[in-house]
Amino acid sequence: MRYDPPFHRTNGLWPTLILIALAAVAPFVISDSYTRHLLILAFMYAIVASSWDFSLGFGGLFNFAHGALFAVGLYTYALTTKFLAVSPWLALVLAGAAAIILAVAIALPVLRLDGIYVILVTIAVSQLLYQITVSQSDFTGGTSGVVSLPGLKIGKYPFIRDGKIGYYYTALALLVISTAFLYAITRSRLGRAAVALRDNKFFAIARGVSEARTRVLTLAASALFTGIAGGFYGSYVRVASPDVYGTGFLTTILSILLVGGAATLWGPIAAAFLITFLSELLVDLGPWREIIMGLIIILVVVFYPGGLWAFIQELREKVDGVRTGVTATYRRKRGKTAREAMMSGAKESYIRTLHGLTAISDSGGNLPALLLIHGNSACKEAFYKQYAALKDRFRLIAFDLPGHGVSSNADPETTYNAVAYAEVAESVLADRGVSQAYVFGWSLGGYVALELAARENVKILGLAIAGTSPLTVVPDDFADGYDASSHLILSGKQFFTAQESYDYASSATAPKSAESAFMHRNLPRTDGRARAYMMTKLAIVNWPRQMRRLWENAFPFAIVNGDNDPFLNHDYIRRLSSAEDWPHVLIEIEDGKHAPFFNKPDEFNKAIVSLFAGA
Amino acid sequence: MMDASTFVSVLTGGLVLGVLYSLMAFGLALVWTTLGIFNFAHGAFIVMGAYIAWQVGNPDGFGLGFWAGAIVAVLGMFVLGVVFQFLLIKPFERKPNIVLLTVITTLAGATILVNVINVIWGPRSKQISLPVSGDIAFGLFRISANEAVMVVVVAAALAGLGWFLLRSPLGRSMRAVAQNREAAQLMGLNVPLLYAATFGLAASLAGLAGVFIGSIRFMTPNLGDDPLQKALVVVILGGVARFTSPIYAAFLVGLIEAFATYYVGLYWTPAVLFILMIAVLVAKPEGLFGRRQRSV
Repeated sequence: MRYDPPFHRTNGLWPTLILIALAAVAPFVISDSYTRHLLILAFMYAIVASSWDFSLGFGGLFNFAHGALFAVGLYTYALTTKFLAVSPWLALVLAGAAAIILAVAIALPVLRLDGIYVILVTIAVSQLLYQITVSQSDFTGGTSGVVSLPGLKIGKYPFIRDGKIGYYYTALALLVISTAFLYAITRSRLGRAAVALRDNKFFAIARGVSEARTRVLTLAASALFTGIAGGFYGSYVRVASPDVYGTGFLTTILSILLVGGAATLWGPIAAAFLITFLSELLVDLGPWREIIMGLIIILVVVFYPGGLWAFIQELREKVDGVRTGVTATYRRKRGKTAREAMMSGAKESYIRTLHGLTAISDSGGNLPALLLIHGNSACKEAFYKQYAALKDRFRLIAFDLPGHGVSSNADPETTYNAVAYAEVAESVLADRGVSQAYVFGWSLGGYVALELAARENVKILGLAIAGTSPLTVVPDDFADGYDASSHLILSGKQFFTAQESYDYASSATAPKSAESAFMHRNLPRTDGRARAYMMTKLAIVNWPRQMRRLWENAFPFAIVNGDNDPFLNHDYIRRLSSAEDWPHVLIEIEDGKHAPFFNKPDEFNKAIVSLFAGA
Repeated sequence: MMDASTFVSVLTGGLVLGVLYSLMAFGLALVWTTLGIFNFAHGAFIVMGAYIAWQVGNPDGFGLGFWAGAIVAVLGMFVLGVVFQFLLIKPFERKPNIVLLTVITTLAGATILVNVINVIWGPRSKQISLPVSGDIAFGLFRISANEAVMVVVVAAALAGLGWFLLRSPLGRSMRAVAQNREAAQLMGLNVPLLYAATFGLAASLAGLAGVFIGSIRFMTPNLGDDPLQKALVVVILGGVARFTSPIYAAFLVGLIEAFATYYVGLYWTPAVLFILMIAVLVAKPEGLFGRRQRSV
């Protein structure tokens, strides 16, 4: 299951709408017919390159007959309008249909092949089509092509009039429709099957994905708008020439795809404009233009294989890092008193660790220490109900994990993982002069607590976790220990939309209300890299050691889960807890959610007190 | 039906084509087996070789004669091949998607080479002049003297290569690396050096092929497209199980082309070859003379 919000709920909505609006009003600003011509070409290239991206980038099918799909669309338009007197609009549809038929015909020989052989067959197919086209010169005009094709028109209005305005809007509309189609299809069952086959063919087949069916449909989907674009090109330049079968056209499209970034859909669309205009700037240089374009392709592939889209993502990551960092600094300076009041007067202090500046809330006193570690994209104030209820039984210490709350952001490579978080916890306890403590960890904090116990640098008096499945074998147990609900996907997603922030805060803590509003306000501050890196760095944790420490029964331990926790696979935890010789208890709090200490504080506090302080 | 003399002349034409094709395809197959990639700049190498030979050998160039031109072309293409491999192929070694990436870089490299040729020598067609002229006849067999030169040189080159690959330490190391990179490396062979040498050797073979193509056809910067396609067809038909497979396939393709041209005409001949190629790829991707082996 994947978390796939509809397009209008994603971050892409506003940029897309703005760009479409800009493109729609552009002709009023740009009256120059040549610039419009370039834009029309860029729209067309964007359609062809993004369609190819679906089969090449997403599907991993090296279909080098993509240019031939375009050519077949072009010739279908030419022949049907010229010899069968079909209406140009119908001919566009026929062009798409012809390309699909060719795509299916290509798919059949490549069903059994892989890698380089697919490239070779598809190159052979396009050469074959080229030879057939050129040899049928009675119809196709041989190498000089079919000339003076009918153009598009509505009624008596030819689209070429008024500075090609009709063609401009037709091309724009085709691009919008084609992109919507590709967007939908990459998120459909077919798109996911194609990606699965690309990433791990045998696993995908074992999971019931039909390779043959997926390949045929992938190629057909990438052919549809390529063929229509071919037909459109015929209606626009009014010549169908066999040049489009050649490597020149293919190389242009390929360079757009790669410079934009494969398997991104948006990258090739952006690159289509970049390459078209760049190539136009160099037009006076003759052969040097081709040399420069070739160099650009090579440089991108060698030094920046992710292309333009990866660059945009990196830029976005930088901006987001600055935004979250500045927010944290601002809140650290401004809201200290309010936070201390919320934490029942516990003082907030800061220490500098290897992993940046860490904010600590310590209720003080000469009581046994209880360290509280919060979860993913949360903050230490999540425990304010425990501060209110338990501060007379324990010395409560909580801290904001790096990249969370009012702690600073840190180097994602070294800091955003459970091991580094455990190091931070050790620093916090050392700073507070605590050498032995009870520990409670929530969700991600549960793993930090388990890691802290496994490291054995701090004496653990007792340990409890909530919303955390202890794991032995990662990633296998990870898949088993959690319910693969859509929101689980969010826990590793770097950039959240407003909707996603709301969804995640709601399922992790509680739906927005007066008492949980601060959690919703805190969540967007979380450094998105903390989520992304936490997932990619799962492998650096010594998971078996954590589990071994629990089996050793060196300290009292309990799993305290809400029985309604939407993230967990409760069967996994029950199976573990009912295992023979498992020395620990499982407490399920009735109607508790992922944060039982927040939803059901009384029951939770009672359980903790009876566990740690003795009933 | 054709009469005996037509048959012989078509047969001769096919065999001569086969000689040329075996030279063109050999380098392509060598790179494919050893480096595991498909070099789409092979056609551009052929043209580059032709132009270098023209520049050095022809009276309009430096005028040092055909043989000097051929030798400089072969040596120069070796150097160019090594540089090309270092810049465009080495960066992707051992990456999982090396096949696609090198398709792209070699295509782009070919574009650059062709346009560099265009910048240096211009688009006007040229031809390499040969040291010999006239025809040579044995009964019904009749070939032109320059074709005879080509046959002799190519036969010598292939024989030399055969000796090199089978007997010489360097050639045997190349074959070892082609068969199993890891094992070869563990035996202490210098894999990067051997890869560079293999690519250079393939490029110089392309250069030699270019010298002959430039002498029997008119040269333009885009001359390489057709030889690349023919080499592709040959390598796929023959497979690369042994380094002799492309040679057999080259003669097969040469003969098919000669007879197809006679029976179905010039226009349909490429179509026949491509249909054949697709059929082989689908039915027996390892090639007509190949065994199943690791996929590339």
